[in-house]
Amino acid sequence: MADEQAPQAPATPAAPSAPSGHSAGPGGPGRFGPGGPRPQGGRPGGPGGPKRGKRSFIRKKKVCRFCVDKSDYIDYKRAEILAPFLQERGKILPRRMTGTCARHQRWLTVAIKRAQNIALLPFAAEL
Amino acid sequence: MEERQYDLIFICRPDTPEADVDKVIATLEHAATEKGGKIEKTEKWGRKRMAYRVQRMREGYYVFMLLRSTHGEVVKELERRLKVADPVIKYLTIRVDEELKRQEKLKRHREKRAARRPRKTAPAPAVPSSGEHAAAQS
Repeated sequence: MADEQAPQAPATPAAPSAPSGHSAGPGGPGRFGPGGPRPQGGRPGGPGGPKRGKRSFIRKKKVCRFCVDKSDYIDYKRAEILAPFLQERGKILPRRMTGTCARHQRWLTVAIKRAQNIALLPFAAEL
Repeated sequence: MEERQYDLIFICRPDTPEADVDKVIATLEHAATEKGGKIEKTEKWGRKRMAYRVQRMREGYYVFMLLRSTHGEVVKELERRLKVADPVIKYLTIRVDEELKRQEKLKRHREKRAARRPRKTAPAPAVPSSGEHAAAQS
């Protein structure tokens, strides 16, 4: 049953879809060839809009974590605080990645380097 | 001369018995007092995994100390002792008083600003009589 109808079914949807496509097609050119598609393009461009939105959200999210905490001192003894600012391989993440402000990044690098010296943080990941 | 403050951290071999660690701490305290310094605080962090291998060891027994002294001779002596001590595999001394001072300063600054701000934003509540009048009138 389903198999028999299946061949038909594609045919019938195809027919309506084709007309609809046609109607949209002429409609667009009727208004102005490129103008018609453009609004439609604008909707697919909609994802482009959200994309921009997403980007801006990411930018908004980037706030210096230490400023939020109002910390006046970054303790090198607390490795668990410093660890998120290291790359997998042990490099210090740049400011543009973490959103840390200049002042706190300065303190942070000093703290990380101290922690590295007493083996609380790695200089480089071990193989 | 003004007093300086140092953080002193050293790492012992993971297999050293507690008694030996205490012995090292005792010798350091003795040496510090002899040279005119003072160990204010001693914290045993215990066995911790190190971020990298030191002398082929992956773990170490961490000890943290807070040292106060008026001259650097104490640090020199303590570091010499740490270098000689057998169970110690790594040590680090950091001068912290300047950073603590900076921290204090920033804290004071922040408090001052915090104290100033409410006065600016709410001058009316600052004068209770006028506030009461306003409330009575309303």
